[in-house]
This record gives sequence, structure tokens and C-alpha cells, in this order.
Amino acid sequence: MSIKTRRILNIILAAVMIILSLFFLFPVVWMLANSFKGDAAITADMNTVSAFIPPVPGKGFFDNYVSIVTDTSFLRYMFNTLFYAAVLIILGIVVNGLAGYALAKIKFPFADKWLLIIMMLMIIPSETIITINFLFIAKMGLLNTVVGYVLPMIVNPFNIFLFRQVFVSLPDDVYEAAQLDRCGPVKYFFTMVLPMSKTVVATVSVFTFLNVWNDYLWPSLVFTSSDLLTAQIGLNSITSNDNTTMGQTLTVITLITIPVIIIYSLFSKQIVEGVVSTGSKEG
Amino acid sequence: MSKNKSNSILGMAFFGPALVLLTVFLFIPMVLTVIYSFTDYFALSPKNTHFVGFRNFVKIFGDELFVQSFLNTVKFVVIIVPLQCLGALGLALLINKVTYCKKYFKVAFFVPVVMSLAVVSTLWMQIYSPEGIINTILANLGIEAQPFIHSADQALPSIAVMSVWQGMGYQMIIFLGGLQAINPALYEAAEMDHASAWQKFRDITLPELKPLCVFVFITVTIGAFRMIVQPMVMTGGGPSNSTYTIVYDIYETGTVNWEIGLASAMAVVFVIFVIVLTVIQNILTKDKEEKK
Repeated sequence: MSIKTRRILNIILAAVMIILSLFFLFPVVWMLANSFKGDAAITADMNTVSAFIPPVPGKGFFDNYVSIVTDTSFLRYMFNTLFYAAVLIILGIVVNGLAGYALAKIKFPFADKWLLIIMMLMIIPSETIITINFLFIAKMGLLNTVVGYVLPMIVNPFNIFLFRQVFVSLPDDVYEAAQLDRCGPVKYFFTMVLPMSKTVVATVSVFTFLNVWNDYLWPSLVFTSSDLLTAQIGLNSITSNDNTTMGQTLTVITLITIPVIIIYSLFSKQIVEGVVSTGSKEG
Repeated sequence: MSKNKSNSILGMAFFGPALVLLTVFLFIPMVLTVIYSFTDYFALSPKNTHFVGFRNFVKIFGDELFVQSFLNTVKFVVIIVPLQCLGALGLALLINKVTYCKKYFKVAFFVPVVMSLAVVSTLWMQIYSPEGIINTILANLGIEAQPFIHSADQALPSIAVMSVWQGMGYQMIIFLGGLQAINPALYEAAEMDHASAWQKFRDITLPELKPLCVFVFITVTIGAFRMIVQPMVMTGGGPSNSTYTIVYDIYETGTVNWEIGLASAMAVVFVIFVIVLTVIQNILTKDKEEKK
């Protein structure tokens, strides 16, 4: 095949795939474009190409967004979720990171057995024990509290495993050198181990964020008071309100998606690495 | 203090917090689920709990709703698994081949993955609505309006297609990682032997990807078996229970009807199912390693 025909084939392939990707993304484009329209405009545009084109910015362009931000508590739900995510990222890195480090580097009794058990726990679907955890949290009087929501979500067998895999390959002589400098194990972990493992820390943080941001079942059980709702549960309470227009619904789901898109564009490398590592672990 | 002893203390100090949380929120709930599955534990009157042997297990398999939700879940799996696995593989192969806009394609097909299930479900409720965008396009093509999620026949496939759309990008990235890990020397050798594109695919790409294919197949299968949020948001399990799933049934039996004994029995059956699938996956991938 000559270079020229190969080049033409490549262009045709790219063109076909661009069409394919537009077809694939039509729901997202439709969501974005119509989040700036009133319901009358959405219905009127439905039959034309303008269903996929946002209106010309002008008066009323941000009406849906303004009404969602000022008339509903949605912004508050978003901040709640950001707060929970921040708490769970910090606690998750400390708890799962320390555990991963212990399994990787400290020769304590049954360390290998614990690792095996943790790998087995990764199989158990969380939906099957959610009822029992809910009963427990309810019995402790922790329903509708941040503690009740956060506590069962801190530990994550998969993250322990990820940390362990990375920490295992850390050089031992750094630790020995640090000990000579009278750097205790805890200080060593926070000032040396974590900074040396930035990639896995970032991967775990990003996945924790996505997990908290997108979670549905657990927050819907724990939170009933509207002050504490997460964005996903708030979405439900806003869209199930009869006064909410279609445009406003699309605005809410666009707003919910913006933080994840930002996180994704900032950390796409870590996300891809994390996703691929789930495959290579087994494969 | 001896080195061993100080290591044990340090190890347990580091592992301790995780162990306590794992025990309280994973081990104990798992054990309790198994214990409760042999009782008639009703959360609103926990004092009247009795041991009932295998009665819950007999009951759920005679329960029309559980059997239907089981069959629905199997239908979801049968539609989702081939579409999502082959779709992801196809996309990965295309993106691996394409030379222009590679980065854009990787992002474009991954976008639905980062959107939450609740968001995607809410969005597609509008897309599937009787006057929604799909029905408008169909009308322009002269096809009559479809009820989609509002009919017992179409609701399940409609939700399945949406789930494939949402999830496919994840496995696509896994396959892309696998494709990039294949040693290029293999293809160069094949090219010297004038192998056709199909031969290269059949004799190099597929065998090299096989362990990954098994992994993707099993994870997508387990994922499809865990279906709950989409029907919960879009149809509430309806119309006429046509989109009710196993996990949905477990969830409602436990947290709405408070029949913890019964819900636990369902959960036990479900977990055994998932474990069997995982074991099959391990056997299939181990086979491959031994042959190497």
C-alpha cells in the first residue's frame, strides 16, 4: 500500500469515527444545548437541527441556571457533596494507605493472609450488605448525620490493594536512612512514602471523588433531611417536583456533570491508569 | 524490644484502623447476612426472630416477583454483555488504528462513563419520552412513535441500551491499554510473512487480548447482574415489574418491607452467583497462563 492510499484511508477512518462519536454523544449535546432553553423553545426546536444547538446568548440565556441556583438548594447539595468527597479522600488515603503500607512493608503476623482476605473482599457486591449497614447506622442513631454517611465508606479493599501494589516496590534503603535521621514510621509514611507515590495517591483521590460524587444508593438511605443531601439525591428531589421544567432538569444534570468533567480533564492520565490497572491486575 | 515484636505492634497500628472498619462494615454484615438468611428477622419486630432453616430459600424461589426479577436480570445480562464487550473491543480497535484526533476519540467515548447513573437515567428519560428527541427523529423517518420505557415490552431493552452507552467507554480504555501492551515486534514479524489484516487480528491481537477479554466479559456480566439504579430512577421497576431486578428486589425487601431474613437469603444466593462467576474467570485466565 502506498503512503498516499494509506493516508487517504486514515482520513476516511477518522471521518467515519467523527460521525460515530457525534452520534454517540448526541444525548450529551442535546442536554447541554437545551439546558439554556425554556420548555417552549425545547419543544419547538425538537423537530429541527437547533435541538442540538444552544440558543444565541442574550436575554434569558442563563434563566434556568439562575433559577436553579437561587430557587432551589442545589448549590448547597453540590457543596455538601464536595465536602463529603474531601473528607473521604483524606480519611481514605490515611486509612487505606496505612493499611496498604503495613501489608507491603511491615512483616507483622498474618500479613499475607490479610492481603488474600482483602482481595477476596473486593468481589463482594456492596449492594448486598447495604441493608445491614443501614440497620447498623440507624441503630447507632447516626441516620441524617455526616458521620453515619462517611463511616462505612472510608475503608475500601480495592484502594488498600492499589496502595499495597505501589508501596511494595518502594526502596527499603530510604527507610533505613530515614531511621538514622530519627524519623519515626508515622512521620516517614506521611513525609516520604505518600510524596514518593504521588500517582497512586492521585488515582485513589480521583476515584474516591468520582465514587462519592456519583453514589446513589447509600446516600439515598442515610440522608432524608434536605440540609445534608448529596447532589445525586438532590437531583432526584428537584426533578420529581412537578414545578420543575424540562429545561431546569437538564440544567441540574449539566451542573452535576461539570465537576466530574473538570476532574476528568485534569486527571485523565490517572483515571486511564487506574482503569487499565483494574484490567491488568486480573488479566 | 525485639525487632519482630515491634514490627507486630507497628503493623497492627498501621493496619488497625482499616481492620476495625473492615470488620464493622464488611465482615460482620457478611456474617450477619448469612445468619439472618436462616431466620425470619423482621426489622420492625426484631424480638420475634426465629430460626427457620432453609424456608427463606425455598420461599424466594417460589416467589413470583423474585423469579421474575431474576429472569429480568438475566435478560439485562444477555442484552448488555455482548453489546458492551464487542462495542468496547470494536471502539478500542478503531481508536488504536486511527491516526487523527486519537485523543478526542478517547475522551468522546469515555464521557458517559464519568456521568453518574442517576444523571444518565434522568437524561434518557427525556430522550425516551413520547415527545422526546428519538421519537421526533423517528417521526421524521416515517416511523410511528415508540413507547420505550413506558411499555412492558420495550422498557428493559431501552434501559439495557442506555446502560451499554453509559458503560462501554470504561472497557474500551481497558482494551486500549491491552492493545498498546502488545509487542509491536509480533506485528512486524507477521508483516514480513505478508499476513493479511484479518490474519494479524486472528493470530496476534485476539490471543494476546484473551485474558483481558475474559476479565472484561466477567466484570461486565457482574456489573449487569448488579443493575438497580437505572430502573429505580427511570421506571421504579415497572411497567408491570418488567424492569425489576434481583438487587432491586433485595433492596426493597430489606429497606422498604423490612423483611431482613428474606432479603438476606436473596443476597446470599446473589453473592454465591457472583463468586461462581469470579471463580470461572480465574480458572479461564489461569488456563491461559499455564499454556504460555
